[in-house]
Amino acid sequence: MMRFLLLFSRQGKLRLQKWFLPMTEREKKKIIRDMTTMVLARKPRTCNFLHWRDLKIVYKRYASLYFCCGLEDQDNELLALEVLHRYVELLDKYFGSVCELDIIFNFEKAYFILDEFLMGGEIQETSKQSIAKSIEASDMLQETMEEYMSKPAF
Amino acid sequence: MPAVSKGDGMRGLAVFISDIRNCKSKEAEIKRINKELANIRSKFKGDKALDGYSKKKYVCKLLFIFLLGHDIDFGHMEAVNLLSSNKYTEKQIGYLFISVLVNSNSDLIRLINNAIKNDLSSRNPTYMNLALHCIANVGSREMAEAFASEVPRILVAGDTMDSVKQSAALCLLRLNRTSPDLVPMGEWTSRVVHLLNDQHLGVVTAATSLISTLAQKNPDDFKTSVSLAVARLSRIVTSASTDLQDYTYYFVAAPWLSVKLLRLLQCYPPPEEGAIRGRLTECLETILNKAQEPPKSKKVQHSNAKNAVLFEAISLIIHHDSEPTLLVRACNQLGQFLQHRETNLRYLALESMCTLASSEFSHEAVKTHIETVINSLKTERDVSVRQRAVDLLYAMCDRSNAKQIVTEMLSYLETADYSIREEIVLKVAILAEKYAVDYTWYVDTILNLIRIAGDYVSEEVWYRVIQIVINRDDVQGYAAKTVFEALQAPACHENLVKVGGYILGEFGNLIAGDPRSSPLVQFHLLHSKFHLCSVPTRALLLSAYVKFINLFPEVKGTIQEVLRSDSQLRNADVELQQRAVEYLRLSCIATTDILATVLEEMPPFPERESSILAKLKKKKGSGTVSDIEDSRKERNVNANANVTSSPSSDLLGLGNSSAVNSASPPTSSHAASLLVDVFSESLPVAALGSASAHVIEENFSRFVCKNNGVLFESQLLQIGLKSEFRQNLGRMYIFYGNKTSTQFLNFSSSVVCPEPLTADPVLDGGAQLQQILNIECISDFVEAPVLNIQFRYGGSTQNISVRLPVTLNKFFQPTEMTSQDFFQRWKQLSPPQQEVQKIFKAKHSMDTEITKAKIIGFGTALLDGVDPNPSNFVGAGVIHTKTIQVGCLLRLEPNTQAQVSTAALGLDDLHFSESLASLFHTHL
Repeated sequence: MMRFLLLFSRQGKLRLQKWFLPMTEREKKKIIRDMTTMVLARKPRTCNFLHWRDLKIVYKRYASLYFCCGLEDQDNELLALEVLHRYVELLDKYFGSVCELDIIFNFEKAYFILDEFLMGGEIQETSKQSIAKSIEASDMLQETMEEYMSKPAF
Repeated sequence: MPAVSKGDGMRGLAVFISDIRNCKSKEAEIKRINKELANIRSKFKGDKALDGYSKKKYVCKLLFIFLLGHDIDFGHMEAVNLLSSNKYTEKQIGYLFISVLVNSNSDLIRLINNAIKNDLSSRNPTYMNLALHCIANVGSREMAEAFASEVPRILVAGDTMDSVKQSAALCLLRLNRTSPDLVPMGEWTSRVVHLLNDQHLGVVTAATSLISTLAQKNPDDFKTSVSLAVARLSRIVTSASTDLQDYTYYFVAAPWLSVKLLRLLQCYPPPEEGAIRGRLTECLETILNKAQEPPKSKKVQHSNAKNAVLFEAISLIIHHDSEPTLLVRACNQLGQFLQHRETNLRYLALESMCTLASSEFSHEAVKTHIETVINSLKTERDVSVRQRAVDLLYAMCDRSNAKQIVTEMLSYLETADYSIREEIVLKVAILAEKYAVDYTWYVDTILNLIRIAGDYVSEEVWYRVIQIVINRDDVQGYAAKTVFEALQAPACHENLVKVGGYILGEFGNLIAGDPRSSPLVQFHLLHSKFHLCSVPTRALLLSAYVKFINLFPEVKGTIQEVLRSDSQLRNADVELQQRAVEYLRLSCIATTDILATVLEEMPPFPERESSILAKLKKKKGSGTVSDIEDSRKERNVNANANVTSSPSSDLLGLGNSSAVNSASPPTSSHAASLLVDVFSESLPVAALGSASAHVIEENFSRFVCKNNGVLFESQLLQIGLKSEFRQNLGRMYIFYGNKTSTQFLNFSSSVVCPEPLTADPVLDGGAQLQQILNIECISDFVEAPVLNIQFRYGGSTQNISVRLPVTLNKFFQPTEMTSQDFFQRWKQLSPPQQEVQKIFKAKHSMDTEITKAKIIGFGTALLDGVDPNPSNFVGAGVIHTKTIQVGCLLRLEPNTQAQVSTAALGLDDLHFSESLASLFHTHL
């Protein structure tokens, strides 16, 4: 089971945090700090896996963002890399060539997409089509740019 | 401005986010946030009711502020209101806020649970999914209580939509993980297993996760899942890559499901049924074969997914540890990966090989890769890969390659990364000790460790080398010579000074014959380091000096002068000052005899688990240290489990006096095992015999003449004993100490098999538990009772059987008698029934004092001046049983030249003589 998933920038700015087991804010902060320092210190072309306490850390960099997750001992590291990749694909499909800014400004969407894909630290649905379909379904309230601009800006 | 506005974007939110991003400083950001918080607070408190959109937007802003790392203390109520909105996006934001900012505020939880309940019963799959996600995300006990019965119902209901089933399965898994007591198994369990047959692969994937977790805890309830999982796996493995449509990932058929099925199968031993087993073997072979096929795509995703399945299959093969051909194939495959150009694969291959090294089938095969592993230690650019290589070398080490591996690790240590040096030092120290054939090599290795990485040599390591040198006289001279030479180096590490000081202080005399290492030279060598050392080391050196005074009277003057100097006697450090003063006085007033006694060579250290191993475990977290022998041993123990339950009717009647009373007096026909209150005569001797086949007895003999001590010790558990005996009654205090840092669950113990004594079921890490046994001797017996202990540690059940040191001689009462009485009685005995005589070779030293102590420890009184020959030992005592009292006379005639003793035992009752005689002979 995946324990947590973090997205952070090259500067160490946290962009998304998902915790699959209850944790105190203190613990969360500690993990975030450790992960960003550990992962950002890694040299290029090193392997994508680390040991940290009793967890396996799997991370991968996509453009300016690091995707980093903590796995339990029996989890499969290679497949976790593909979990990260599938998540990137889903974001990409939704936003249309996703970039860090998309995730900053639409953080709630990033969480919703993740929820369609993972639940309780386990993979819920691996089919890209099914996930995309259910996300589209929840976006039925499409609106035009005009409508958007008419909304109050505060 | 926002990059996109898809769905229903919230313009106000986007503006706020870009404001924050434009803040030049932390202060500016806080200022902007405080302004926004004030704004939101006023909106929420305002008279005008907010519309859904605004409420959603403000809640979302609060969420954003929280995720930036600021505290949020309001807005929860508004979020809860959003839950009952009939607009999906508003509901969604409400749930997101609740999931992220869960608050154990009970009023709110009730409201939240209400909203969830409504959504669960809405029959709208999108709403139901939202609600299930919220339960899984929050997963608090209150929620588990409220929905633990509802979620399984949704999962197995016939009309539930597939996507809801997936959510329900994982939601249930989440609740089971955090509150297993609240999620009772029920009739739904068997129906969950059948989800493995579901048409929808997404449902099967989610269900497999759930079943794997449940099966780990209750393997028996989910046994039927094995055949279904094998069938499903077989269909996936043999399918063409296009068969599974969207569940094919970069030309790999359903990799997630495959891995999960393989993981589920690792909860069980290999299937017993031949057909299923055959089919599984076929699957595993197919997976191994596919690894050799050319890749269907150059994308890394393809190879990752394919190899993920392969690695999981190898884990299963290692877990089953039963098919030698598969194990060797797995090992060869990993061997290929060891040289793969992908760093990730090299890393994983090293990691998997570590577990493979612990299988007896593949240990040798793993060893053939030693050169590759050593090479990766030298050439890998990535420290985490090198770390895995160190782990693997440690795991594959045995007597045949220990020297090579230790040498390689030592040479790697010179350039190793600082982050892993300490661990390597510990590993080298352990391997050197474990596989040392001659201890000179061990001493050399440890001194090298100190030389190369002195700063990383922890106290445990240098304590240990001293313990070993002190306990083994064959290495002491060599150790003294070696440290002496090592200390010659102009700059040596302080740890070396410590070891050197201690060893020369104890054994410097062994090399003092050589004029190049005469006492004075040794002293000057040590003292030349003194001023550069820290206070604890100086204190140690002062002790070494005073030991020198005892060993070498000729340097007494020189050393006294040093002790007398102001820098010692008036040292600012109170410990050093005190040592100097006391040692100086001691050397001035004490006679040589007293000095020799006070400063005697240290006695051997009691053998115990290496403190280094304990440290390594602590460092890595117990359970992750791959100790080959341990895991092998564990397997044996598991195999031997459930042997010790022998059927017997009564009666270890603790506080069960009626049972004791009803025990009939023993009949003399079967003289073997009749210790009642612990045994009854009806206990079949054979059953006891078979039980004792796997009983641990190694410390048993130590207790024959002793009542307290450590009966059993493993890496997990220590059992200590304190016992007292009076006439025919005994009381035994058993202390169970948990040596790990985790809890033992379901801890229970029983004596042989009669009415089990149950101890507290949970034994906390590091904690100790006490149990009291009352014992009554009813008649003569040979077989001592067996203590069976069972507990759960980590995932596995541990069974330990230890023989309890309750022996006949414990019921002795010593008797004093005169010489006349003794020989009068002795003559009345009629051999051979009443007198047993044996000549035996002395197992232990024939030291008079030790023999005396042993006779007293055996339980009899030692009668001085009874025997006309002063070198003979004579003892007398009475054995008390419930029914009779048996007098016993004992005479031991040692022959020091031939190292044999003649022992004679005379007893009133012939049944007792044999059992007592054998006890006496084996232990004296």
